[in-house]
Amino acid sequence: MSPEIIRLIGQATLDTLSMVAVAAGIGTLIGLPLGVFLATSKRGELFAAPALNAALGVLVNATRSTPFIILVVAIIPFTRLVAGTSIGTTAAIVPLTVACIPFIARLIEGAVREVDQGLVEAARAMGATPVQIVRKVLVPEALPAIVLGLTLAIVSLIGFSAMVGAVGGGGLGDLGIRYGYQRFMPEVMATVVAVLIVLVQLVQSIGDRLARRLNKRLRHG
Amino acid sequence: MNAPVKPDALNLGARPISAPEPIIRFERLGKTYAGRSGQQAVAALSGIDLAVPAGAIVGVIGRSGAGKSTLIRLVNGLERATAGRLVIEGEEVTALNEAGWRRRRREIGMIFQHFNLLSSRTVFDNVALPLEIAGTPKAAIADKVERLLALVGLADKHGRYPAELSGGQKQRVGIARALATDPKVLLCDEATSALDPETTKAILALLRQVNRELGITILLITHEIPVIKEICDRVAVIEGGRIVEEGETFAVFTNPQHPTTARFVEAVTGVEVPAHLAGRIRAEGRPGDDIVLRVTFTGENATAPVISRLSAVVGVDVNILAGRIDAIAGRPFGSLLVSIPSRVPESEAVLGALRNLGLKAEVVGHVS
Repeated sequence: MSPEIIRLIGQATLDTLSMVAVAAGIGTLIGLPLGVFLATSKRGELFAAPALNAALGVLVNATRSTPFIILVVAIIPFTRLVAGTSIGTTAAIVPLTVACIPFIARLIEGAVREVDQGLVEAARAMGATPVQIVRKVLVPEALPAIVLGLTLAIVSLIGFSAMVGAVGGGGLGDLGIRYGYQRFMPEVMATVVAVLIVLVQLVQSIGDRLARRLNKRLRHG
Repeated sequence: MNAPVKPDALNLGARPISAPEPIIRFERLGKTYAGRSGQQAVAALSGIDLAVPAGAIVGVIGRSGAGKSTLIRLVNGLERATAGRLVIEGEEVTALNEAGWRRRRREIGMIFQHFNLLSSRTVFDNVALPLEIAGTPKAAIADKVERLLALVGLADKHGRYPAELSGGQKQRVGIARALATDPKVLLCDEATSALDPETTKAILALLRQVNRELGITILLITHEIPVIKEICDRVAVIEGGRIVEEGETFAVFTNPQHPTTARFVEAVTGVEVPAHLAGRIRAEGRPGDDIVLRVTFTGENATAPVISRLSAVVGVDVNILAGRIDAIAGRPFGSLLVSIPSRVPESEAVLGALRNLGLKAEVVGHVS
């Protein structure tokens, strides 16, 4: 491979990492509270608002059932509004974020629902407010599961990011298609796939290790 | 100098001894769960009248589904009554809104069957949680938590996580946590039901210590009659959402009125007729039979040498078939199964002597 190709792979890796990092960051910022709300707003729960819960549930499901590549195209006007343009790496962050918010929200909802209701009852018995229950009980107790969920979300984002080449998003997927496939350079394709495998492996093992460290339910030395 | 104490002087000032205001009073309290579409409403509790005297340990016993779990949750507003009044320290709490209940709950501690400790927090941080919620400054929290951990005997475990503790230690953390905000009332929801008998004893001893030394009133619910026997001053028996019997533990145990109560207390007070005799007992006696008597000893009589006195005074051989002596709410209680000759002068003399000693004696049957 020429030094030029190697430089391109390096740049593409950085593009992928930055798109995934920003999308995951903003996705968590919005998805975490959304997920907590989804987990606590059914009838009789802390922030009971069954109608809003149902409406958000439908919205989340609708976003999640739209194929990502269609979502990318469908929200181009919104992307232009937010990013000023609808093509390029920065613009690609918008659909990635939009796609990962409902995904993260559902993962967080699942993690929070796993928390023993007895702990919520104990906190209520201490006179805790609903917000205190979320901050001091639900989120800390769900944290290991939340970390695993976010790990899964980041791995999925790395996959999604390969598709944003369709709108000039750049990144590893785009490079693989343009050089590896369209220019018949199988060695570029192989390298791109290898880098992606290493990235996913790295993210997953960091997430696993962090979740294990946070989980105090297991006895460890 | 050593003037005899007049009986009047024993009265403590003007405070009426007869009826001090109980710290918790249930008045015709009821709880009905509204039926979901197409279903009947369910009455979990109805017409609950119960007074919990300040400083007492009061136990509510019932089978699962009897409504005891709902009853204890009414006291800290985790469940809301749908009928009647609940008065805590003179304040009617039935009408409180959620904010009012939050304030009230900080004065009521609660411990649970499954401890409900936060797995993500150390022992120290678990005990600190109610103080954080109440907005106590950090330095004051540290001081308070260390003292509480010393009280429950876990001073050396403060950096441990709940997963590293035994069941008994977890419940000690639960107790320390429940005491953190200096509550006047401690609610115990089947607090020993997940523990082995030995650990149960130790936890009950700690609860009694908390009650005596800190003057904390305890309301507990349980399905285990030994828990009532061990520490409760008063007991209420609940069945089908109603209190069927209530009173001083000793009185209720020694003289149960309701069949449910009788079944519960039999396990700790009853004496079974030994198997080898059970088949031979007849209701009607024949000449030469022995009479089988169940003699119940209560209070100071429980430790009196009654049998030897009977033999000596009446001159009749009393044969002990089975028996047990135990303590109920700290007072001795005994039950003996004996046989005596059925010949008329002797049997009359024995029954008369037992009556004179103030003991309860009932004829179980006759045996040859």
